[in-house]
Amino acid sequence: MDKITIYLDVNGERHAVHCEPRKLLSDVLREDCRLTGTHVGCEHGVCGACTVLINDRPARACLAYAVQMDEARITTIESVAQDGRLSPLQQALHECHGLQCGFCTPGIVMTFEAYLRENPSPSEAQVREALSGNLCRCTGYQNIVRAILLAAERLRAETADV
Amino acid sequence: MSEPTFRYLNKAVPRTEDYRLLTGYGCYLDDIEIAGALHVCFVRSPHAHARIVSIDTQGALQMPGVVTVVTGRELAQWTNPMRVAPPVEGLLPVEFATMPVDVARFQGDPVACVVATDRYLAEDAAEQVMVEFEPLPAVTDMWQALEPDAVQVDPAVPGNLVSHQTYSHGDRERANRRAFRVVEATFHQQRQTHVPIETRGCAAVWDAGRDHLTFHVGTQVPHPLRTQLAQRLKLSETQVSVISPDVGGSFGQKIALYREELTVAALARHLKRPVRWREDRLENLTAAANSREDFCRTRAAVDQHGTLLALDLELREDFGAYCFFPANYLARVVAMILSGPYRLQDYSFDVKVVLSHKCGNAPMRAPMSITSWVMDGTMDAIARELQLDPVEVRRRNLLSPEELPYRTATGELLADITPSQTFEAVVAAFDYRAFRQRQQAARQAGRYLGLGLCNVVEPTTYGSRFYKAAGIPGSGHEASWIRIEPSGVVNASVGLGPSGQGYESAMANAVAEGLGVPPSSVRIHMGHTDIAPYGMGSRGARSGTAGGGALYLCALDARRKVLAIAAGCLDLRDAQSLRLTEARIEHRSGDEWIDAGLSLADVARRAYMDPTALPQGLTPGLEFHLTYDPPPMTYSNSTHGCEVEVDVSTGAIRIARYVIAEDCGTLLNPTVVEGQQHGAVAMGLSGALFEHMRYDETGQNVTGSLADYLIATSTELPNLEIIPLHTPSRATAAGIKGMAEGGVMGALGSLTNAVNDALAPFGVVADRHPLTPMLLRDLLRDKL
Repeated sequence: MDKITIYLDVNGERHAVHCEPRKLLSDVLREDCRLTGTHVGCEHGVCGACTVLINDRPARACLAYAVQMDEARITTIESVAQDGRLSPLQQALHECHGLQCGFCTPGIVMTFEAYLRENPSPSEAQVREALSGNLCRCTGYQNIVRAILLAAERLRAETADV
Repeated sequence: MSEPTFRYLNKAVPRTEDYRLLTGYGCYLDDIEIAGALHVCFVRSPHAHARIVSIDTQGALQMPGVVTVVTGRELAQWTNPMRVAPPVEGLLPVEFATMPVDVARFQGDPVACVVATDRYLAEDAAEQVMVEFEPLPAVTDMWQALEPDAVQVDPAVPGNLVSHQTYSHGDRERANRRAFRVVEATFHQQRQTHVPIETRGCAAVWDAGRDHLTFHVGTQVPHPLRTQLAQRLKLSETQVSVISPDVGGSFGQKIALYREELTVAALARHLKRPVRWREDRLENLTAAANSREDFCRTRAAVDQHGTLLALDLELREDFGAYCFFPANYLARVVAMILSGPYRLQDYSFDVKVVLSHKCGNAPMRAPMSITSWVMDGTMDAIARELQLDPVEVRRRNLLSPEELPYRTATGELLADITPSQTFEAVVAAFDYRAFRQRQQAARQAGRYLGLGLCNVVEPTTYGSRFYKAAGIPGSGHEASWIRIEPSGVVNASVGLGPSGQGYESAMANAVAEGLGVPPSSVRIHMGHTDIAPYGMGSRGARSGTAGGGALYLCALDARRKVLAIAAGCLDLRDAQSLRLTEARIEHRSGDEWIDAGLSLADVARRAYMDPTALPQGLTPGLEFHLTYDPPPMTYSNSTHGCEVEVDVSTGAIRIARYVIAEDCGTLLNPTVVEGQQHGAVAMGLSGALFEHMRYDETGQNVTGSLADYLIATSTELPNLEIIPLHTPSRATAAGIKGMAEGGVMGALGSLTNAVNDALAPFGVVADRHPLTPMLLRDLLRDKL
């Protein structure tokens, strides 16, 4: 299959990618951009492990072809911690033991980095509803939910301080 | 007994492995870059049972990027077959090839392997491998499989009965004569699979100059896997290094050396090029490993008060087409520990394990998961039939503290467990009497609440004496090393295979506690067979007791030498008045401990850089190695209580409250333990409510995606309330007990008992999983 060239803005860096039109965005991010924090768990859009932000909105990287993303802005897990400092959400997941094997974690972080921006004061039920698109086999979700609510609380306090 | 005071153990701290996993810089198998690696794709049988007539690889070989296509014929020359033939009474030996040559035995059985320059091209070419199959009749149900003229799965297993074990203890006839009634109950557990979010995969690098294989694979058991891999490849163990990176969950699926993995290793050696494989989800669901699928029937002889006099167990298990493990291994544990915390001496079992044309079985987190559901379900059946209160029936049969330690009917020794305490704690947490009143009131209003209880005695750790007694080859010991470096920091290793549980944190605590240093100065190295000592890996809730114990004891050895050197530095005759705390030497003065002006780093420098100054008899360096064989079995215990509401018009189940009282002894890190409790209960509830590996009557797997094979999401699982108890084991290092599987056992039992409690007014009993709305509606259809 002939390869074509596309341009992706990944975490603020411009990548020229020469790939087959059928290559998945998840594979391009991992193999061509060498950002392996985006994990592939099912390749059919159910598990949510590969969630990244496409133009600031969460989406499954395994359900998109990279060529569809020409000139798009992609945000991956590698950009969330700044200068070695965890984001409030990452920090809360750490403190609440909201991750075990960590394979689903990047997808959950990306989903809720975006979610908490739009929904700063979610209820537990709303968090659980939004989290239901990310499968986790280790934690039973309880501590993930606790961490997201804690992160929301801290983010609200931060916003109030400004 | 008095609880020893610990500085680091029993104290909750966040995990040290989190940072890399949260930031995307973990390194899982597929994140390892290997220049020039070839990718494989397996061609699999579309039939449950078929003769392989011919395989035409010509079309595939002409595809772009294709390097080679191999079948079972090549692999038979390059590898030894798998033979599972432990000398166990009632168990038939089985043997199978790396890839079948003549007959495929389940839908998904690999029959050819395409090697290409990338994964997309390998998948393209796999479609062009032309396999002519002659479909054969398939047996897809364990009852069919046991019929006299059933189709044979394995020619070496007549009647498909791969294992049949019976046992009897006590005087069954005496019990029957005394019995007021014999209560019968049945339990059907459906076929399931592990669903690690990271599927299987591996990467093999053959060094043709050194004749050495480096094999990257996410595994729970790095050293036993290396032993197998070397043997199957006709290599020596000095020619193989197994490296397990970060692993995205395993749950028992990543123990066996699978045929795909062996194929990849053999290809790398044959082609003298790196070869890798990433399993896709369809393969993981249909062709990795299945688990469970059991039927149990109990017959309980009881007196009129519900006292259990005798129990018979009939157990049937469907093991699928291939035995990657001895087929008796999982079912036997169920039969062995069935009575749990209940008083029982007159006991017998009859356990049959059968083969069928389905993906083969592997242990899955709590391979004995059905046990507590069967036992506490039997308690509920007794209460129902005799119209007694289920709490009173349990109280009557639970072992009291005075009866412990207790030798069970199968010879197991239950010690340092607290079943009546955990039980009463959960009964009190639910305010049992008040619940019954609430339940009555709700029924008047047409709402159906149920409370289910389940007592769990979780077998953990499995020491080598257990293996010996069970006739299973292998050992239950574990190995560790500790190296205090010249700067005073500590490297340590143990033969475990972590897959997300948090061992780096938990094991650092074990070393820190034994040695007397802060956990932050300890780095744990695991998963690399050239670095770690030969251990038995992670399985059967053994890592805490066996691995943590080995490190703790090794750290005590290290501390003894450190203090002996320190005594020399301080011109003391011996180290009796010294201790190591937070990496500082302290000296006793009266009742006080005073800093001796010496750090661990000072001691380490002398040990490495000035060995002639060491006290007589001490050798240079601070390197320690220790192996530890834990008791044959270590038991922890818990009680689970689950309150549900069943919507009888739709069959929907809502979990209203979930409480666990669990006693798992000394905790290496309570944060990690809590995570394991949550995860185990989640897997149990998910299995009881949703999961079902389904095959149609022709043996087609109809659950090949995560939209078909359902696991619980965040909206279906409850928050758990945990009441912790900490009774140390007197038989293990530091009083550690295993845990992490009991939660599955308790969840199956408590949820199902709760549902049946809710359904009691209708006189129906759900005796099978998953507890789908359709199942409940079927039960209720004519009763409303």
